[in-house]
Parts: sequence; C-alpha cells; structure tokens
Amino acid sequence: MVKTALEEFAFLIPLLPALAFVITFFFGKKMPSGGAIVPIMAIAASFVISLAITLGLLANPEEVVSQSYSWFAVLNIGILIDPLAAVMLSMVSFVSLLIHIYAVSYMSHDPGKPRYFAETALFTAAMLSLVLSDNILQLFVSWELVGLCSFLLIGFWYEKPSAAAAAKKAFLTTRIGDVMFLTGIIILTSDLMRLAGGFQDGTYLLRFDEIFSYIPQLSALQANIFGFEVSHLTIITLLFFGGAVGKSGQFPLHVWLPDAMEGPTTVSALIHAATMVTAGVYLVARTFPMFIAAPDSLMVVAYLGGFTALFAGTMGIVMNDLKRVLAFSTISQLGYMMLGLGLGATIGLEAVGISIFHLINHAFFKALLFLCAGSIIHAVGTQDMRELGGLGKVMPITAATMAIAALALAGFGIPGTSMGTSGFFSKDAIIEAAYLFGEHSNNWIPYLFSIAAALLTSVYIFRLIFMTFTGKPRSNYHGHESPAIMTIPLSILAVFALVFGGLTQTGFMAFLEETFANSFVNVDIGSLAGIGGNELVEAAGHEPLLVLWMPLIVAVAGLAVAFVIYYLRMIKLGAIASMKNPIYRLLYKRYYQHEIYTEFFSLGIVYGVVALLTQVLDVIVDSIVEGIGILTVGVSEELRRVQTGVVQTYAAAVIVGVSLLIILVKLIMEVL
Amino acid sequence: MVNFMLLAPEITVVATGLIILLIGVFMSPRTKNVLGYLASLGVLAALVLTIQSFGTVALMFYDTVSIDGLSQFFKLVFLAVALIVSVASIKYNENSDHTEEFYTLVLFATFGMMVVASANDLILLFCAFELASLATFALAGFEKQNAKSLEGAMKYFVIGAVSSALMLFGISFVYGATGTTSIPAIAENAAFLAQSPIGIVAVVLLIAGFGFKMALVPFHMWAPDTYQGSPSVVSSLLAAGSKKMGFVAAFRVFILALPALQVDWQFAFAILAVVTMTFGNVVAVSQTSVKRMLAYSSLAQAGYIAMAFVVMTPMALTGGIFYTLAHAFMKGGAFIATATVVWMITTQRTGNLDVPDHLDSFRGLGKTMPLAALSMTVFVFALAGIPQTAGFMAKLVLFSSAIEAGMAWLAVIAVLNSALSLFYYARLVRYMYFLPPEGKKIGMPFPYAASLLIAVAGVLIMGFWPEPFLQWAMDAAQVLI
Repeated sequence: MVKTALEEFAFLIPLLPALAFVITFFFGKKMPSGGAIVPIMAIAASFVISLAITLGLLANPEEVVSQSYSWFAVLNIGILIDPLAAVMLSMVSFVSLLIHIYAVSYMSHDPGKPRYFAETALFTAAMLSLVLSDNILQLFVSWELVGLCSFLLIGFWYEKPSAAAAAKKAFLTTRIGDVMFLTGIIILTSDLMRLAGGFQDGTYLLRFDEIFSYIPQLSALQANIFGFEVSHLTIITLLFFGGAVGKSGQFPLHVWLPDAMEGPTTVSALIHAATMVTAGVYLVARTFPMFIAAPDSLMVVAYLGGFTALFAGTMGIVMNDLKRVLAFSTISQLGYMMLGLGLGATIGLEAVGISIFHLINHAFFKALLFLCAGSIIHAVGTQDMRELGGLGKVMPITAATMAIAALALAGFGIPGTSMGTSGFFSKDAIIEAAYLFGEHSNNWIPYLFSIAAALLTSVYIFRLIFMTFTGKPRSNYHGHESPAIMTIPLSILAVFALVFGGLTQTGFMAFLEETFANSFVNVDIGSLAGIGGNELVEAAGHEPLLVLWMPLIVAVAGLAVAFVIYYLRMIKLGAIASMKNPIYRLLYKRYYQHEIYTEFFSLGIVYGVVALLTQVLDVIVDSIVEGIGILTVGVSEELRRVQTGVVQTYAAAVIVGVSLLIILVKLIMEVL
Repeated sequence: MVNFMLLAPEITVVATGLIILLIGVFMSPRTKNVLGYLASLGVLAALVLTIQSFGTVALMFYDTVSIDGLSQFFKLVFLAVALIVSVASIKYNENSDHTEEFYTLVLFATFGMMVVASANDLILLFCAFELASLATFALAGFEKQNAKSLEGAMKYFVIGAVSSALMLFGISFVYGATGTTSIPAIAENAAFLAQSPIGIVAVVLLIAGFGFKMALVPFHMWAPDTYQGSPSVVSSLLAAGSKKMGFVAAFRVFILALPALQVDWQFAFAILAVVTMTFGNVVAVSQTSVKRMLAYSSLAQAGYIAMAFVVMTPMALTGGIFYTLAHAFMKGGAFIATATVVWMITTQRTGNLDVPDHLDSFRGLGKTMPLAALSMTVFVFALAGIPQTAGFMAKLVLFSSAIEAGMAWLAVIAVLNSALSLFYYARLVRYMYFLPPEGKKIGMPFPYAASLLIAVAGVLIMGFWPEPFLQWAMDAAQVLI
C-alpha cells in the first residue's frame, strides 16, 4: 500500500525543483543566502521520493511506476520509473542536493545568488524530467531544457567574455547533436505513423513500449544511402547516438566540455556528474532495445566510446588547469560508459547494467573531484596546478577526500573479492566485457582502447594529486580548509566513492536487467539481438588470471609513473613538457582541435561560404524585406488618415460598406 | 413546467446586478469596494454554474431560448471576460461614488450577451443585443469628466444605433419572406428567401448589424476611438466580451437560420475576413497609443475568427469557437495590463498624461511593474500565436482547417498577417524590457494583479492543456452542423 501511495507523488520529483526555480527566481532576493533553502528543500524532497520508489522497486522490480496522460491525440505526457530511471533519479537528486548544499558556501560572495540557485534548480528539474519521461518527445523537450540551462549556467558570469564564449560554444556544439536527435525522432515518428496506419485512438505513438513493439518492423524498413542498403532502425539509432555524442561530450563533439569550466565550479560538478553529460548515456541505455536490434549501431557506439576514452586521456595528462584535467577525465569516463553500452553487442542486457553502474559510481567520484577542486579554488584562488603544491598540509580533509576520489577514478581494488573502490568494480566490468568481446569476435581494439585509457587515467589523476597536494608551494597563497558546509558534502561523497560499488556490486546489475522486462515493457533482448545480427554470449567465460588483474596492474603502473615524475621529480620535466617537444605540443594544443574546428572549419569553410551566400542573399532579401516594411508603414500611415474622427464619416462608411457588399456579392453570384 | 435551474447562471448575474444596485445606494463611497468583490463572486458563481451545466440540451419559453453546447460555451466566454473585468474594476472604482452603477451596467451587459448566446428567436436576439449594447454605451462614457471617454461613447452610440437599424431592417426582410422569427422555422422556410433578390440584401444587412459588434471592416470605425477613449477595463469588456456577442449571433443566425443562403454569406465573410485582418494588422503597425494598437489588433483577430464562416468545416467552426475563448483571455488581459499602466501613469504623474497609454509609458515596465510586463508579454505573444499559448492552439486549429478544406490561399493570407502582427507585438515587448524605465519600481494593486493572473492562467492552460476546451468547442460546433 505504501508503494501505491508513493507512486501518486512521482510527478512531484521534477515538479518540486521546477517550483523552486520559480520561487527562487522571483523572490530569492528577499530571502537569506539568495533563497538557496528553497531548491535544497525541494531537491531533498525529490530525493526522498525517488529513493523510496527505488527501494519499492528493489523489492518488486516487476511493478514499475507508469502514468500517462494523452496530449494531442496520439502523443502523451507521462512518467515511467523502471529500475533504470529509478537509480538515475536517486543519483541525480542526491548528487544535486549535495552540490546545492555545498554551493551555499561556495557562492556566498556572489551577488547573483538568486539567479544561480534558480537556474541550478531548473537544471535539476529538467534532468529529472528527462529521466522519468515515458516517451521520446517529452525526453527531447527536457533534453533541450537541460541544454538551455547549461547555456545559462556556463555563462553565469556573462560579463566575462570567455564565459560568454564558452556558453555559446557549449550551446552550439550540443545543438549539432540535438539536431541529429530531432531528425531521428522525426524519422521514427513518420515510420511509426506508416506502420501503425495513421492515428490510432488510445495508443501513445512515441511512448517507449509502443516504439519497442515496432522494432522488428522498423528494422525491416530499408533505405538506400549512397548505394548501401541501411535499415531505418540503424539510421534512427545512429541519429539518436548523434544526440548523445553532443550531450555526453563524445568525440568529435566533446570540444565544449573543457571550455564549460568557465562557469562556477559547482556548475561544472552538476554538469559533469549529475545533470547534463549523463543524459546522452541515459538516452542510449533507455533506447537500448532499439540499438541492439539495429545492425552495426552498437559497434559504432563501442568504437567511438573506446576511442574517446583513450583520446581524452591523452589530453588529460598535459593540462595544467585543475578543472580541465577533470573535464578531460569526464570525457574519457563517458567514453567508457558508451563503450560499455556498445559491448551489448556481445553481452546483451548486461551492458546497460555495467554502463549505468559506472555512470552512478562516476557521478559520486567526479562530483567529489569537482567539489574538491572547488574547495581548493575557493581557498587559494587559483586553479593552475603549476602554482599549487603542498596543499595537503593546509587542507587535510580536501586532500584526503580528493585522494579517495582519485583512487576510485583510477579503479583501485582487489580482483575477485568485494574489496575495492566504486570505480574499480564498474570500470573493471567494462574492461572485462571488452575482453570477452575480443575473445568472442577476435576484435581486440575495444579492449586495447580501454586498457590503455585505464593507464592514462591513473597517470593524469595522480599527477594532479601529487602536483596539488605534495611538495612545496610554488606560489604565494594563503590557503585554509573550507568551512564545514563544504567539507561535509565532500565527506559524504567520499564515503560513497569508496564503498558504493562494493556494496551494491551484484544487486545493482541484476536490478538494472529488469529494466526491459516488467509490467511496462517486455522485450526479448535475445531475439532483438538476432534481428540486429548480434550474437550474444551466454555465460561469462573464465578470463585468465592476468586479464583479471590487468586493470589493477595498469592502474598501479600509472600511479608509479606519476609518483616517480611528479613526487620524486626524478625526471627533468622541462625536457619533456616543453613546447619544443612535438608530442607534448600536439597534446597540449589538444590535437589542434580548436584550430581545425573553429578556425579552419567553422570560420574558414562554413563561415566563408555562408558569408559569401549571405552577401548575395542580403541584397536580395534586404530589398524585399525593406520594400515590404516601407510599403506596410506607408500604407499604414495612409490608412490611418481614413480614421478621421468624424462620426458622420463612420456612419457613411457603414452605409457604403453595406451597399458595396451587396453589389459585390450579387456580382459574384451572377458570375458564378 | 419550465426548469428555471437551467437559467441559473443568468439569474445569478441579474440578481447580483440588482442587489448591487439596491444596496449600493445606502453605502458610502469608502465601503463601496465591497460591491466589486460581490460582483466578482456573483460572476464566479455563474461561471461555475455554467461549467456544471455543460452537456445540457433544452428548449425553453416556447422555443425562444435554446440551451446547448454553443450557448454554454459562449456563456463561458462572456463570464470569463466579466470575471477579469470585474476583478480589475475593484481597483478602478476605488473611492468612486458610482461603483454600484458601474457594476450593475457590467453585469447587465454580461446578461445581455448571455441571452444572445442562447437566443433561438430573432426578436429575443435583437432585444438582448440591445440590452448589452445600451449597457456598454453607458459604460464607454463612464468617465463623465473625460472628453475622450464621452467622444468615444458618442461615436459608439451613433454607429451602434445605425447598425441596430440595419440589423432590424434585415430581420424584417427575413420575417417578411419566411413569416416567422424563430430560428429553426426560418431555416425550414428559407427557400422563399433564397429565391428572391431580397435574400442578399437581408444577409448583408444582418452582417452589417453583427459586423458592428464584431468590428469587421468597414463597420469597425467606432472601435479604435471607443477602445481608446473608454476606461481600459471597459475596453476590455468591449473587445474581449461584447465582440463575441456578434460572433455567437452570427453563428446562430447565419448557420442555423440561413443555411439556404450559405453561398452568399460565405462570400461576404470571405471578403470581410481578408480585408479586416489585413487592414487591422497594417494599421496597427503605425499606432503609438497601445490601446489603439490593441484595437486594431482586435480587428485583425476578428478577421481570423471570421475565417470560420468561410471554411465552414466542423474543424474550422471548432477552431473559430475555441479562438473566441482564447481571444477573451488574451485581449481581455492585454487591456487590463494597459489599465494597470494607465493607473501607474496617472497616479505617479510621470509620463504623458494626455495619452497615458502611449507606447512610451511602457518603457522599462519590466523593471517598474514586473508582473504587469510579464503578463503583457504573455498576452501579446499569445495574440501573435507563439506556441504553447492559447493563441497558438487557436490559430493552429483554424488555419490548418482552412488548408484541409482546400483554402490554402486563405491560410497563407492569415499566416502572413500573423507574421506582420509580430512586428508591433514584439515592439511592445522591446519597450517593456529593453528600454530603461522612467520611474521606480511600484507595487501592483491586488485587484489588477489578480485579474492579470486569471487571464495569464487562462492563456497558458489553454495552450498547454487545450483538450477539454477543444472538446467543449467541438460540442459547440456540433450544434451548428
């Protein structure tokens, strides 16, 4: 009975933060600390409801929460909380709650507090509503709202030109993905309309259960693209994935994420851990039955994910800005999640489990890393690691929690036992799945990507730790430990980063595998995989011992490398880390992406062509528009004079009007 | 036995009006504020009673009164407008000696409109039409010291009298040819009318009579002067409420009584719709008085609604009827927002006191009165047809019905007009948010705020959740088919 009562409140999960947005936005100025208490209370309530529903689902995973209301004949607005959505909701609301509490102190000196808290509340509301959408259209609307909020928050300090530029960059880059996503939805809708034979009363066309039930027919539709026969399902899923690439910062649309550091650090934490970048992974997980039934789609996901994991890792090791290292780390870890999903081609539904498991664990330790970075910036006032050093003594809590987060990110733990940090269990699972995939298909590229990226992860994160917390200060600063309102969220997150993975390891994946078999949808992943030409492996093979220990070995190796270079300083850094070294320069310049994307592609080709076209069009359109404008205003002025203000004229107009109308109608009737 | 409960909304409105008139005599100006709340409560009660009676179908008083989907829907429109107006008027009539007269006139006008909505007989329709008209004539000239108000009322009255004469003339032709004034009976005997040349004359005379209320070009010329001169709350009643009386009368008389002459009046409405929407939008561009601008935009909106008579499919009628309710909220709200600004200018004595509703008075309104500016933005965007507002849904249904019926040319003209209208609507938003304010931030009087919130809620609910309203409009359209 308790559970049914709770379901009634499910709609409050996104609604409360949305209301908090309205209240804080309009009345925050009059409240203490910019009205922060309102979103905190609202998100806390959302978290409690989410957690209660999750616990209810854990007991009975078959009975998912599903409520739909029709909207425009065949569309609907609805709520779907299945295991996948439930864990996401709990995580998003929990992490967002901690970040909000932390921000009370972090933002205490900022005059724009009400705006900040209002926007983060809306950000959270949008993400929560994205997660519990039961149809693709509502998901897209929330998706766009998330994009808008990220634009507002990255450009929070909009007086700063770099912040304004970063906000614009984030918005435009993710827009490319969003257009692909929308195109996918349009194709999907038109296909479904065709398959369903037009409007059917009582069905919600774009609801996930309806979409999934048409997967075999969608897969059978073929389109001819450049001479290749491509399934419609592949096109749709790849377009969806395009949206996910933009939102989740996958190569080549990852360029906005490092620049998104221009916002307050708490915003970075929100974007990187809880609210924004995980949306892309969530989208792929949510539509996983479509992906697995689409030939080749999952392969694209796996390769791109694996490549992004490695690619971002290489750039992470040369960044000197604290937050940028973390940004590249996020991109790399998101690559892992995508890789995990892509491996569903071999391991089936388990892929959703390991990928979302990594997403949740990552949310904890990445939020922790960012909040630690925020704590450092708050105390010291710089985020350049070259100017830091020796902070461990000044800020012990921050140092300890950040070290825990680093261990979790690098994936330290003992294989075969349940001893280990959160990141260990989930990342290990992905790497093992990649091995399984290699064994099964003799394609070792994903495995190599993942293991190499693991090494880089360990190097760059311990480089950060050693450069920041050990040695002697490299500049004059007066650091101090942050106040309790900041360190308490840090400690809570540290506990989660340390033990969450170990505690939930087995239950979590089993729980998530219930996502597509319950009272809402019931799809047979095995047969769908058959449609997509993916052979699933039944039992997990027994990997050689070396494979089992490999992730730990590379993690330790990375730690050792960082220790030797940055702690013991045994190697002269100047020789390697100089602009004369072409590899270093290539990495430091981030593979010249800015030059390629912005200067060559955007400015050179697109802007050049557009500028040329517009010059031509300008002349034509301008003259038309101005002509119409002048004509309208002129006519308007002339017609105004008709209104003489003399009532006799008005009466005359009525009589003339009547007479003319009679004559006109009569004439027309005669002619016809 | 007549079931008077079916007329409960009308009885509530009239009773409230009479009670207010009676007790107002014994009250001092200071305590008369209570009357406004009383009137609002009465209207609200009538509104609830009307919504409860949705779905009832009945003929009363020897078939002269028809309770059906159409009548109930339009009663909803009139009562919604009356509610917005009477709530806002609490502030307008503060400390006035004539509060009871004002509210009685508003309520009687509303009563007249409600009777027009259910009139099933031309004589009853004419009488109710006149009741509403006479009450609004007096309201338009309510500011007896204000020459502009009197001028507007005078023009309104003269043109109103001419139009009434024309309408009565038209009715006499119809009666002469068919021998009856009952709407269903006219429909049975309309063959006589269709055969004789008098038919066209009768149709055009009736169109002129109703077109005066609908403010279709060229029967519109009183409207800008009167809307501008009258107190803003009265303009709100005129533009949002009494205009719809013309529409419901036209729906009943043309579609139900004169289907035999459909080709004639369809042509007449086609010409009037196109001319009206284009004229309204083009002239609105060069207005500097916001009330005049709203008056011309109101012409344009009437032109859109008149498309329903041209397309004449069930969907078009649904769209047109839905539009009347949407327009009631948008335009009613916009005039109330203007009333708020006029109140600000006259109490602060900062701006152009001769033309208190000048565009310049809206400078920086986002800073001085954020709620008024935000609501005004919602209203003008809705009028322009920005998605997820009532105006968008209304235009969507109406315009797509034109395309579906193969009248793409009409839809194209209407869409071009909408695009043109965005120019002067967006200009207003620019004045409110992008130009610096002249005064300091001032508090909103509660009645204005409440009235604006009702209208904003109406606009947004109809935009986000149009289904129940579309269903009601569809039920109303069902009566006409």
